[in-house]
Amino acid sequence: MSTLKHKGKGPQSLTANLLRGGYSVWLTEDFGWSQDFADALKTEDTDLMERMQAIGNRDVDANEIVGLYFIDIEPDSGLPVRYREKFRVRGPSYDTADLIDQPSAESA
Amino acid sequence: MYRYDEFDTRVVYARVRQFSDQVARRLDGSLTEEQFRPLRLMNGLYLQLHAYMLRVAIPYGTLNSAQFRQLAHIADTYDKGYGHITTRQNMQFNWPELPDVPQILRDLADVEMHCFQTSGNCIRNVTSDPYAGAAADEIKDPRPTAELLRQWSTIHPEFTFLPRKFKIAVVGSPNDRAVIRSHDIGIEIVKQEDAIGYHILVGGGLGRTPIIGQTLRAFCPTDELLPYLEATMRVYNRYGRRDNKYKARIKILVQETGIEEFRAQVDAEYAKLVPSEIGVSNAERERIAAYFAPPDYEDLPPVSTVFESAKESDPGFKAWADNNLVLHRQSGYAIVNISLKPQQRAPGDIDSTQMRLVADLAARFSFDELRTTHQQNLVLPHVRLDDLAAIYAELKAKGLHENNIGLISDIICCPGMDFCALATARSIPVSQAIHERFSDPARQRAIGEMQIKISGCINACGHHHIGHIGILGLEKAGVEFYQVKLGGDSSEETRLGDITGPGFSHDELLDGIERLVERYMETRTEGERFIDTYKRIGLAPFKEVLYVDF
Repeated sequence: MSTLKHKGKGPQSLTANLLRGGYSVWLTEDFGWSQDFADALKTEDTDLMERMQAIGNRDVDANEIVGLYFIDIEPDSGLPVRYREKFRVRGPSYDTADLIDQPSAESA
Repeated sequence: MYRYDEFDTRVVYARVRQFSDQVARRLDGSLTEEQFRPLRLMNGLYLQLHAYMLRVAIPYGTLNSAQFRQLAHIADTYDKGYGHITTRQNMQFNWPELPDVPQILRDLADVEMHCFQTSGNCIRNVTSDPYAGAAADEIKDPRPTAELLRQWSTIHPEFTFLPRKFKIAVVGSPNDRAVIRSHDIGIEIVKQEDAIGYHILVGGGLGRTPIIGQTLRAFCPTDELLPYLEATMRVYNRYGRRDNKYKARIKILVQETGIEEFRAQVDAEYAKLVPSEIGVSNAERERIAAYFAPPDYEDLPPVSTVFESAKESDPGFKAWADNNLVLHRQSGYAIVNISLKPQQRAPGDIDSTQMRLVADLAARFSFDELRTTHQQNLVLPHVRLDDLAAIYAELKAKGLHENNIGLISDIICCPGMDFCALATARSIPVSQAIHERFSDPARQRAIGEMQIKISGCINACGHHHIGHIGILGLEKAGVEFYQVKLGGDSSEETRLGDITGPGFSHDELLDGIERLVERYMETRTEGERFIDTYKRIGLAPFKEVLYVDF
């Protein structure tokens, strides 16, 4: 869960991690959870946010997700405001898994 | 190597059963996340930025081939086919899933491994010199002491909930290869007249408040070690702050109390103890030490014609041998450093195929032993000179032949924002870019010994405070920037780097390092390393070129 405080102003999305896999997820428009931020529900509607929170709490109680929190969204780009959250959306910029089976050193 | 006794085995499998049950209860909802979190952390399981991360303990960085093969198996079966060597000699897996963790712990237990005390406010995995038992400058092998501390500190009921985490490192040589002055307690084996004992340092640490450890006791007799440490821990446990996690480490307590008063408190506590109730007998110490007896070396001449002729015929092998080998205490043998710092990969990462190769090499050529280092590399500690060319050929076939140990591209680097939930900026791409900028092997050798250390946040897992060039990644308004410290030293002459000034963008940083290196090379005198030149001329000449564009 983020240790950084979000302002809670402007568009918001709801995020968490899957309990079993640990992967980052975002609440979708049909109130499911997606590992793809492109599917995330983004809203400024406070009534809808209350409903999102209730659904999130339900799924925490159902042991599907952990670490539930809202994040601020940039109105123009539709991306998270905070740098850390941008990284959660993009995934690592580097992962050794992507290079496995390739020679890792060329110099003699 | 130490082998588990019946007690160790029972404890480790009991923990596997216990945690398996805890995971099952978490998955079925019997435990809330709030209840489960401290339990998973006690077993090295973190929830990081993108996924769970499991940290496996490698006691004092020592492994046998079966253990390394098992780590490769875990990487393939439950993760993405690789592992990451940390700056405390452990191995992390970045992508395990919670339901698999009990079986991972079971697989680890099968080869006498676990994840105890790789997280939480307890005494963490004890680290040591990766050249232990092999180094020519060694007074005494530190591994029996490290093993004694492992046994003493494992699930120690009094020290499981300390004010904050607690790190101990042990060396047996005057040359510090385990950064003992940056540990909560650093232990150096010393000789006083004919007696072997311990120089005990306390209150070192990095993080947001870097402090160099101070001498707590200049000479602690061997049989007093455990009772004296017990007294030290009790003073910390009693007076260490619990109201503010940023002031809870023992370094803050020692700084605020003063070393003289702190020592008096430890002495007073020690006087109340009955050492025989805590210490171990000579027979027990000898029993442990017997596991670390020198291997069955062959009687070999100091010069190998096989080795020398291989160097003549293969320049690549010669460059690797000149840079990655260290003198062994035994004639005809060498210590082999295996670099995990190829340009394309994250420092310290190793894939499962490479793990299996190194395990095989350890079994065939190094008495079944290998080591992890705090510099995030590997070591084969006891290799015949005659076998070096064969080892090099096999390492080369798997991309493990980088000849940059101790050079500018042998960078210590934390996972940073790419993986870590605490990070403020990326560190891996910075290390890769520096490596690319200085990729010419001849240029690297011309620069000579250089320690660049990069941390992705102020917690300093990348040891940036004690890098010759230390780099701290931060972020402001969505833009990463990097602060530079200069003149840090992780050796027995430990020195904290000097803050240079405002931070740099990624590209500015690379150009700045280039100018620092140029200033060093035009200023150095015969035989001077970067750190020597820095200590001689100070910050100003380097700062002048670092900020030339400002």
